[in-house]
Amino acid sequence: MLQKGQLWETKPLEYYAKAKELRAKWEKNAENKEIVLGQGNTSFVVDWQQAFPAIMVMEDNPRGSTIAAKNLPEARRFRLASESRGWGREICGYHGVLWGQQFIGYQVDGSPFPERKFVVPIPATCECHTKRGEQCKDFSPVPRWSGDQCVYLGPYDQERDKAMLDHRAWCSWKIINDIERIFGQQFNDEKMKELIKISRAVKPIREEIFKLMTHIPAPLSVKELYSTYVLGGLVKIEMNELLDFWRSVRDEVKWRTENNIAAVGTERYRWMEAHPPAYYFLKYYRYMEKYGAVCIGSQYTNYTFAQLERKPDGSIGDRDYTFVDEYMTPIPQPDGSIHEKVLYHPTFSPEMRIDTREDEIRYLDGASARGSVQHFKQDEIYRPYALNEFADIYKVNGAIMPLHRSGVNCTLTRKEQAMRLRKAGVSVMHYELNQGGDNTDLDEKRMLEQLDQWMESQGLRKLED
Amino acid sequence: MNFKQLAENRHEYAKAWKARTGGQVLGYYDPYFPEELAYAAGMLPVRILARHEPDDVSTKWIYASCYPVRDYVNQFFNGRYGYLDGIVDTGGCEWVYNAFEVAMNTTPSLKTHYIFIPRYPNAPTSPGLVVSELKTMKKVFEEWTGREITDESLDHAIEVYNKNRLLLMRISELRRAYETPLFGSEAMQMLLADQVMDKAEMNAILESFLAELQERPPREDRVRLMIIGSETWDAELEELVESLGANVVIDELDNGTSYFWNTIYEQKDRLLAIALRYLGRPHSALRDNNWRRRSQHVFELAEDYMADGVLIVKQIYCVIHGTDNYAMWKLLRERNIPYHFFERDTSLPEDETRQRLESFINMLKPGLVRLRGWHEPLVI
Repeated sequence: MLQKGQLWETKPLEYYAKAKELRAKWEKNAENKEIVLGQGNTSFVVDWQQAFPAIMVMEDNPRGSTIAAKNLPEARRFRLASESRGWGREICGYHGVLWGQQFIGYQVDGSPFPERKFVVPIPATCECHTKRGEQCKDFSPVPRWSGDQCVYLGPYDQERDKAMLDHRAWCSWKIINDIERIFGQQFNDEKMKELIKISRAVKPIREEIFKLMTHIPAPLSVKELYSTYVLGGLVKIEMNELLDFWRSVRDEVKWRTENNIAAVGTERYRWMEAHPPAYYFLKYYRYMEKYGAVCIGSQYTNYTFAQLERKPDGSIGDRDYTFVDEYMTPIPQPDGSIHEKVLYHPTFSPEMRIDTREDEIRYLDGASARGSVQHFKQDEIYRPYALNEFADIYKVNGAIMPLHRSGVNCTLTRKEQAMRLRKAGVSVMHYELNQGGDNTDLDEKRMLEQLDQWMESQGLRKLED
Repeated sequence: MNFKQLAENRHEYAKAWKARTGGQVLGYYDPYFPEELAYAAGMLPVRILARHEPDDVSTKWIYASCYPVRDYVNQFFNGRYGYLDGIVDTGGCEWVYNAFEVAMNTTPSLKTHYIFIPRYPNAPTSPGLVVSELKTMKKVFEEWTGREITDESLDHAIEVYNKNRLLLMRISELRRAYETPLFGSEAMQMLLADQVMDKAEMNAILESFLAELQERPPREDRVRLMIIGSETWDAELEELVESLGANVVIDELDNGTSYFWNTIYEQKDRLLAIALRYLGRPHSALRDNNWRRRSQHVFELAEDYMADGVLIVKQIYCVIHGTDNYAMWKLLRERNIPYHFFERDTSLPEDETRQRLESFINMLKPGLVRLRGWHEPLVI
């Protein structure tokens, strides 16, 4: 029975309990004394840390944002501990929150802070990522390794790409080999090959989910996505468990789509975001639902595992990296073969043969130096109309684009992107905040008033009025 | 020599150079840009510098909290850099990339190129990567100018640039002496002028300046300060320090001494020689990763130049220096070097800064012991 104003049937998500369980397990694992705990991230493609017997790499983002969301006074205390030691307020709040615990010596729950034994920052165009983990490194002399997210503009260039890929491969190789040597743990290459196989199975499942997300009504809203999409990304879990989990998500989302079960029963307006929200003020998602407005995600969430595009016949499918004209340069595969059909693709073909550790590493780094996970800023930098395409695929009416004072990468080119979206008929609202994990500059009352005005300017009224 | 005037009249200088030579003027933002290649192609590479001007444009295009970058956009739309034929970005900072991107997307007639310089410069693969990038850039410059970059032209460019670095280094050595004849403001203006002028022309100016310096009587000994932090574009701070009876004797700024600190060791593979020089220069905060080099470099400068204290001057919302501050504070505390940290933007709030600096300098004074007479002015 539909309530007043409700257009679609809705139902709580069944996979949610499992998602929470996996997340809690990941956090608990950090306290395992048998494990060598590092800071940073491994890879979005394959979680290589699992090929070591007892290595765990933990990223700042999910911990920092959760603390900011659940315990704002403590989050502020931790940030202050970082800032008073010189750590800049313009850096992602996640860092300040998490590393404030390191400086103070205990975590948000009062337990001792588990010190990191090494740092492997995942390369990104973002400067905060490049400099990630400096707090641990400067705090105590633990080893830190770097990689590079290589960038160039214009068409694919085989020569430039090759030098960049060699550089990236060496950086990854160095990390894995040094960890073996320093911590005396053997990297299991056979297990790594197995992980690659499983990752190949997970990829299409996640892609399917994000294709299903284009459905009206949206089977999931961004709030659910934020609890889910990190699993296997920033929150590393055992690969077989990961595969089972994503299968269950796919099945549930598919069922919801087939039966028009909506995340928000009043959905009549779809909006997109760009980059992380104010995790300490997620209330605005529910507030927007009062207008029947649902956030269907952003390239930050949806494109993490699936890059889609509209096909010439109007359908939506995986992004085809077959280019014409100046892009027609084939990429030789490590075995010397040339892809006939796919001339430029950021990931290697599933049939790629993997024999050596170098093959494994090159698979991780992808076939294109500009990133095998083409979302976030890489995508927007190479393809200025990336967000317009996203808006079209996910059939959005509006976009809320936060302007972060901190963190740079999340706000880079944002004003121009907004202009492009407006030209395409997508209404855009900006709001200012410090960063998703730092509430310093967010005026909550002002933001809610902005939302009212923005919705009303588009002829929408609160459903309860 | 009036370096201040040279630096301030940079736009007029570049326009006149262009009219005189018929060459192209190329703007760049970051000191990792290998200028030698542009010079070898007959272009004039000029550093794009911020200045404090009312900004009525940038907000539409860019949400950068970094004021110098907003100013780049503002100056660009206000036509200050209208004479530029091209711009190159080296990925020195993301806000700068945004300014570059705005210029690229709004001015199709502007030639643009992006060269990737690794943020991890110490990997054994980094030189090969930079050589690959230089090869691409060489082709791009040849296409832009219609002029081949030969080994001879590269050798000439390397020679001119190396001479420039040597001259700047010799002048910098004079700042090590007590009663140095050179004040920090003049040194900074000299460096800023150096980055916007034809190096051959600048070398002649520096040679005569060096001769002039040797004739200058020693100046009175003062509290010796060092500046580190985000880059600058004027010498207002140094002037303020001088007005308070102190002197900036050294800096570790990207467009300060780090601009000329190392040289190109010539070798047959010219591009490799250039790549090694840029990767081996004092690391900028962004590229100082893993086992840090920057801290040690800062310490060595402080010690070599006998700095009594350090000013850490950070641009508001400079992410890169925000991440390095912790290391700098830690280093200076551990080695008992007094420091004062403050943030600024394109403007320098004079009263507030004066009060802060005055307090810092007064705090330093009682601890200073100068054994007059035990040192002699350095002779070049």
